Amino acid sequence: MLQVKNLYQSYETAKTRYPVLKGVSFHVNQGEFAAVMGASGSGKSTLLNCISCYIPYEKGEILLGGQNLGGLDQEGLAKVRNEKLGFVFQDFMLLDGLTVKENILIPRIIRGSADKEALEYAEKLMELFGISHIKDKYPADISGGERQRTAVARSLINNPLLLLADEPTGNLDSKASRTVIEAFEKAKQEMKSTILMVTHDSFSASFCDRVILVRDGVIYKELKRVGGQSSFQGYLLDMIKEMSGGEEE
Amino acid sequence: MTMRELEKKLRKLDYHQARLYLFCNFISLMLITAYSVMMQSSTVQEVFPEGGDSRKQVMAIFVLTIVGCAAFTVYATALFFRKKSRQIGILMALGSSKKQLAPMLYREILVLGILSSVCGIVTGFPFVMLIWNGFRMLIVDSEEMVLNIRAVGLVIPAVFLVLVLMLACLSAKRYLARTDILDTIQEEHRNEPVKELGKWCGPVGIVILLVGAIAGYEAPGISMRYLNFVPPWWLSLLYTPVFIGLYMILLHTVVHGWHFRRKTFDRDLVSRSMMKFQGKQTINNLLVSTVLIAGACFGIFYVPMLSAGSIKDISTRPYDYLYHYRADQNVPGKAEVETMASGYGLSLKDWHDASYITLGMDGMHMIEEGSRIRYEYRELLHEGKFFSETGFRELTGVSITVEPGTYLAVSDDEERMGYMLAVSSTLLTNMDTRDTLDIGFAGYAHFGMLTDENGFYVLNDADFAEIAEGISGEWSGRAALFNADGEDDYQFAKELFYELIQSSDESCELPSYYNRVYKIAENEAGRTYWGDTMAISEIHYDDPDSSEFRRFWTYMPRFRMLDKNDFIRTYAVFLMMFLFIFLICTTAGCVICYTRCQTIALNNRYVFDDLRKLGAPPAFLKQEVKRQCCTVIRTPSVIGIFSMTFLYTLIMFANDGRLTIDEIMGLSACGVVIVGIGLLLYVVYRKTVKALVKELGIEG
Repeated sequence: MLQVKNLYQSYETAKTRYPVLKGVSFHVNQGEFAAVMGASGSGKSTLLNCISCYIPYEKGEILLGGQNLGGLDQEGLAKVRNEKLGFVFQDFMLLDGLTVKENILIPRIIRGSADKEALEYAEKLMELFGISHIKDKYPADISGGERQRTAVARSLINNPLLLLADEPTGNLDSKASRTVIEAFEKAKQEMKSTILMVTHDSFSASFCDRVILVRDGVIYKELKRVGGQSSFQGYLLDMIKEMSGGEEE
Repeated sequence: MTMRELEKKLRKLDYHQARLYLFCNFISLMLITAYSVMMQSSTVQEVFPEGGDSRKQVMAIFVLTIVGCAAFTVYATALFFRKKSRQIGILMALGSSKKQLAPMLYREILVLGILSSVCGIVTGFPFVMLIWNGFRMLIVDSEEMVLNIRAVGLVIPAVFLVLVLMLACLSAKRYLARTDILDTIQEEHRNEPVKELGKWCGPVGIVILLVGAIAGYEAPGISMRYLNFVPPWWLSLLYTPVFIGLYMILLHTVVHGWHFRRKTFDRDLVSRSMMKFQGKQTINNLLVSTVLIAGACFGIFYVPMLSAGSIKDISTRPYDYLYHYRADQNVPGKAEVETMASGYGLSLKDWHDASYITLGMDGMHMIEEGSRIRYEYRELLHEGKFFSETGFRELTGVSITVEPGTYLAVSDDEERMGYMLAVSSTLLTNMDTRDTLDIGFAGYAHFGMLTDENGFYVLNDADFAEIAEGISGEWSGRAALFNADGEDDYQFAKELFYELIQSSDESCELPSYYNRVYKIAENEAGRTYWGDTMAISEIHYDDPDSSEFRRFWTYMPRFRMLDKNDFIRTYAVFLMMFLFIFLICTTAGCVICYTRCQTIALNNRYVFDDLRKLGAPPAFLKQEVKRQCCTVIRTPSVIGIFSMTFLYTLIMFANDGRLTIDEIMGLSACGVVIVGIGLLLYVVYRKTVKALVKELGIEG
């Protein structure tokens, strides 16, 4: 579904160029729930922003459903973002003036218009993620967990090829985090969604099928989940400790 | 739901977010419309003649106001887009193309821009009428103070409206052209720290400001006097250091603060850091509001400066009445005036009168040739009214001796009018016989009532007799001084004034700056005298109460009762215009300060939240709000007021190299006005703090 080949990216600050991604390559399979983990500054968010087409990359290839995102113009990128990608952000990025239902429908409205079929699909998503009862409420009137589940529903309204989540539980307490991760699991199981999540939270990552550890702009290790969630979390913590040179993250 | 419906729904929220943008547009268009309408009204056009200094000053303030309004419109537009950027960014992140967003954004900004601007323009008319008629009702009303609104007054607001819309569209285009979506989303929280300079920048800024002010003010004079160059327009660029210095002072205020005691170092750390990280906009805003407050002071200082001088002049006159007239006119003499006074139950005392002659005086004429100034000797250049020693003594009671072959110029005790008198003449000419007399300037005779633009002079008796030989009534005249015995009567003064006009023929219907001697010289040289071509030199007998007539008629009498009662009336349009300038500039300055305080506090809402979480009590948070508002309002106020006081003092001093008593009186009156402005700004400060405390939820 997603193939990232030899990706390079750097930032320039005060006339000095800092490499952030140094030849990153990996793939995410159809229907897979994958996570990218790493310390602050490891390049995980830059990686996600490149895949999201939010920032251009310097070298390498990103193939989404076989389509190379590198050669697309602004219009083409907008179309990919709208139709082939779904986004969940750390701070939800809901529009304050719209209700939960309207927020969910935005990608569909951007695509053309929210017809009856779209409304029915939105209802289905809200039901799936347990937010039907707040569909007419505004973001300011609902909890953090509900906001993020609204964002998950919004990301799925156009049936994207890939759902990208950037620290989706970063602003939530453990209880709300759990409901959001459950929403991702439901999306994977019931809608066959492919999900790539960037997180520093080992608990959230332990629900994934595979975790890609990134260190200093390169992939340190890829870990496949074997066994239950809690044993995978323990394994993840060990690997993170190893990656950090024996220090606690 | 379609994109159009989504747009409508979002716009509801935007109207709330756009309040500041709407408010700033509305205020700027209202102020500009009011000013423009006022400027273009026929009354102001007539009272402030084209090319005159007062017109230039009023225009300069108008330009200043436009710049100020443009600044806060630009700022409000930027702020609107910063708030809007999150919405734009999210829609882009979710796949909206620029083609989809562009019509939505342009439609919204045009609707908001047109709505607020048109409302501002429409409100500008009642606003100017309110001020104009309020002034007429509360202060003074005169026949010439009729507000004639002309369509041409709408030209500048219309141009400004187009600029507002263009600016909004350009900002929209700039946001749409962005490719970094994450940057667009985070725009609202982006800081704008200013490039810091060391702690030297404030003191150095003060020096640069003062140097710029003095250089800019003195340069035109130096150019004319010493370099013989017409001051070119670019000489005004010497004022540039004023703005650089001002910027440095404000930068120092925002970044370092002015600490004179080490103990207070940490006192305003939080509030200053908030301003510091919004540095660029904060300093730009403070700069504009400083200039506007200085403009407001410029306007309002005019009132006490003018009044103090006039009050002193009127109250210290040694005689209640002075009038002079041409000898060939049938103007009432002592007997007729006494008869007229008796009709008001008034008797006269201390009557003195004396004859004078009007002579041509030579001098160096300044000629502009392109950018060069050339001085050329002209035998007939000035027109001067000359008394003999005896005549002067008979009229004023002041005994003076004038050496043969010399003349004295009549000025007040402080010799303030010296710069208006011809003090370098060497040849006098009898304009009838063309006989001449070699002469030299020997100093001043003192009698303040006899100072006017054409000037009175005194000759030795023998010289006077020699040059007056064969002179006609057209070139000679008579002056009379007297007092009212007992309480004076305004109606008598007024009737006598009207009688003087009625008994003078149309050859005396001239302004004081109309130079008959120079006219003859020009005509004899085959040239047309400038005074015969420009409407500026026209005054009319049928409009004796107009400001123009009272200020400029060459035979305008000096009657204490008339001048005292009609002072405000005579200068009504001036007073109102400068009062208006004060209102406009103060309003604009206060709006900028208010919006700046709002923005800094609201953009830093999270800082207040964090402080609250750290256990800061409401009193501490309120104190931080107060400190921030205090800096934003106090800094431009102090600098603006101080700069204008300094400039006024500099101008007064530069006139004759000293400060006279009435100038000191005027400056003292300005001090009282400053206290008033200070109180007004304090009220704005209090209101701003109250509004912010409420918005930030600090109390309750």
